[in-house]
Amino acid sequence: MYQDGWIPTVCYQCKAECAILARVENGVVKEVKGNPRGRGKACVKGMAGITSLYSSERLKHPMKRVGERGSGKFERITWDEAMDIMETKLTELRDRGEAHKFTYSMFPHSVTDPKWRFVNAAGGFISTGLPHCDSGKIMAMMHTFGCFPNHHIAPMYHTVPKGGLMILSGRHPFGCLDDAAVPSYILDAKERGAKLIVIDPIYRTEASKADWWIPIKPGGDASLFLGVCNYLLLNDLHDKKFCDKWVREGDMDGLMAYIKDKTPEAMSKICEVPAEDIIKLAKMVAEAPSACIDAFKSIMYGNAMDWGQAWSIFLVITGNLDNPGGQPLPDIAPMAPVEPVPPAPDVTELGYHRSGNNREKFDNYNFFLQPTWYAAQAIKDDTLKVFFASECNPAMSEMGSGEWRKAVTMKDENGDYKLELLVVTEIMPSETMKWADLVLPDQTNFERWELLYMPWWYNFGHGTALCQPVVDPIGESRHANRVFIELGKRMFPEYFAFKDDVEYYDIELSGVGMSVKQLQENGGLWSPGTAGFRKYEDDGKFNTSSGKIELEWQMYEDIDQKWPSPELPLEYRRGEDEFPFILVNFRTIFLNNTGAWSQNNAQLRDPVSGLDANPCLLNPIDAKKLGVADGDTVTMASSTGSVEVPVMLTEKIIPGCAGIIHGFGQTMGKVASRGKWIGDNELIADAGSTLDEQDMRGGEAHVSTRVKIYK
Amino acid sequence: MRQLSIMVDLDRCIGCKTCIVACRNHHEIIDHENDQPGAMANYLRVESKLEGTYPELREDYWVVMCQHCKKYPCAKACEYDAITKDPQTGIVLIDKEKCTGCGECIEKCPYNVIQFNKEDLYAHKCNLCYDRVTHGLDPVCVEVCLTGALSFGEKEVLLMQAEAKGKQVIKKMSTQSIIYVKKA
Repeated sequence: MYQDGWIPTVCYQCKAECAILARVENGVVKEVKGNPRGRGKACVKGMAGITSLYSSERLKHPMKRVGERGSGKFERITWDEAMDIMETKLTELRDRGEAHKFTYSMFPHSVTDPKWRFVNAAGGFISTGLPHCDSGKIMAMMHTFGCFPNHHIAPMYHTVPKGGLMILSGRHPFGCLDDAAVPSYILDAKERGAKLIVIDPIYRTEASKADWWIPIKPGGDASLFLGVCNYLLLNDLHDKKFCDKWVREGDMDGLMAYIKDKTPEAMSKICEVPAEDIIKLAKMVAEAPSACIDAFKSIMYGNAMDWGQAWSIFLVITGNLDNPGGQPLPDIAPMAPVEPVPPAPDVTELGYHRSGNNREKFDNYNFFLQPTWYAAQAIKDDTLKVFFASECNPAMSEMGSGEWRKAVTMKDENGDYKLELLVVTEIMPSETMKWADLVLPDQTNFERWELLYMPWWYNFGHGTALCQPVVDPIGESRHANRVFIELGKRMFPEYFAFKDDVEYYDIELSGVGMSVKQLQENGGLWSPGTAGFRKYEDDGKFNTSSGKIELEWQMYEDIDQKWPSPELPLEYRRGEDEFPFILVNFRTIFLNNTGAWSQNNAQLRDPVSGLDANPCLLNPIDAKKLGVADGDTVTMASSTGSVEVPVMLTEKIIPGCAGIIHGFGQTMGKVASRGKWIGDNELIADAGSTLDEQDMRGGEAHVSTRVKIYK
Repeated sequence: MRQLSIMVDLDRCIGCKTCIVACRNHHEIIDHENDQPGAMANYLRVESKLEGTYPELREDYWVVMCQHCKKYPCAKACEYDAITKDPQTGIVLIDKEKCTGCGECIEKCPYNVIQFNKEDLYAHKCNLCYDRVTHGLDPVCVEVCLTGALSFGEKEVLLMQAEAKGKQVIKKMSTQSIIYVKKA
């Protein structure tokens, strides 16, 4: 059915979704490489995608649970039976006026992902990992300069000029979560004279290539950059012309008054970076033609909104907005709507599941999605009754995963599960699947159609890529988009009047004068070829209510948060005596840490080609104090969980921290044969049960905690 | 001298392992359906070295593949003349038909890069993508390298390129036909 040769499509071994070519020979995928019409790179995960496609562990037909949730016992059913089960439950929910108690947790591939359309038509909420990773950054930038809420708007490293600064503050872009071309772009920029500065409590590959590694206390990023801003402003080293023109009247005066006591010396006491290094960094920034910051882990802590605001202030006072080497302000490709568009549920009226009993406190929370990790709390509160999941793995890779597993098995007084239906679409066995009532066999990126344009990570919203099937599907697998288009046709035909996914994408592509066929014939990609610079000058304004940059967050006046707090995250400021170590959880290129679909890839668990172990990293100084030797098994315990794990001593982590890789520890499938390991989320509380001030403002992620370590 | 070579730039290698999996795919030394992690053949591996104590650290990453040795001990160990150094390219090749699977070459390889197929009993290893380079293509590892850390060509030309870029050959690591370089 499909042609042989190098066929353009899109990788989906992680959310970066790089444009690739797949070499097909006699209907079999043999090789993968980057699409030269795109950025031309594919990483180790992408290369290993073929193993996901052909693994003997592929799920080949729909299954229904026959034992208790968690027992992993299933029987084969037909697709018709599976569709009937979903239709019956969702109809029942709607008929009893509880349609909004349905949530679908997914990674949307565009803002008009067909699954999202289905959720809107059904009156449910979309729940996604997308906002929570770096929602502090997204919310901060929306508040400050009104950017489009694209997920993870990394700097465009290929635009960094000679002498420009690339600052990675708790970010590991060599892990290729932006695009597989990013490591090369960063190293190319360095070769043309840009400087790489890595601020990190752990010395990773990025630090090994950096011009300067600045070890920092986790969560100290806000204080460090407030110290930098203090030095720049008090020494008149900021971009006065830019600020005069674009910052809202009065905000610079407010900033000057606020920043006065955030001296490098004062901030040094919080972040533990020497004051002279804070000053040195400020001077480098003042002299550089551009500076950009990327942060990821550091923006997921309990001071995320403070760090996000400090970061935004830094970008503004240095004039690094939408300039080469600065912070891009993406926009979205003008795709055509597929009419009629189902309306999204009214969150003002219905409230988010996450808000639970604290609904009245969420007045200022205006993001349009909700994170998966509130599911546990919502189940307990009876505000979540039907949960679907695609391309996510809440039983293992979400904060409070233990609490999630507990919640999905909770029963009411009649002995029925409080969560009435749990459906998982999955390519291979996953942790989450074990708890599901229905398991639907999904397709890999080599077997399915998908149109990517937003929030595709390194896309900047100005292009589109086509994922197209290059081989016949395995077994009875069906792509989740097709499943929910079909279910949509049954339940809400008015919103699913198009023929299939391809026609849906055709209609959308007509907005840019394209079609699926035209993309197929033109390398699978469309882009105007420029993201543009300083677009606010063309518009004459920023997308804020005042049209200017709003440094002061006046909406938080009543909670005294108009300006950022320099303090460490709340979770590090409590329990230090009992839990002396800060957990540093980080990512690696060999694993898609959050989604299930590369966690059970045999090549990525092979010790030569992947990641085979996840020990607790400790500095020898700490090990000596604890009386722990390399290889010893220790208990790591937080206030909500404990795990046993071997220790690896390394100079690469700062004293006082314990390092572990995020999203590891699959117990299903052949990868589990490599030994029992654990993931960081076993130690982290369900955030719904520890609602803090940051949650009210959108800095919703709690990915770390304090731990104690003992033999 | 006729010697094709790969130059590994330690300033750019990030140890990402992309080359390892791309090489497996291209040479079809992986059974995607059934292979278990920990029991897969590989023609390359990543190595690294950390120096210093916190916070003054330095770490380098590089890949090790068949070094296509000048005096190739694997061939000397082979009683069946299955291993030769191709006179036109300098590539060390194992003739699968002649190989009896005795495993002597694996024992003698100082770089520990020769793999053994347990099912069909033969030794195999990196052939510098002989099937590609003789048709004008780079070896797969070079083509897919995420950071452009690998370059391919005649050894003498690569050495000239290294010098022009201000890179120093790491002599200890570059005693055979694969060159390892770093900024001076």
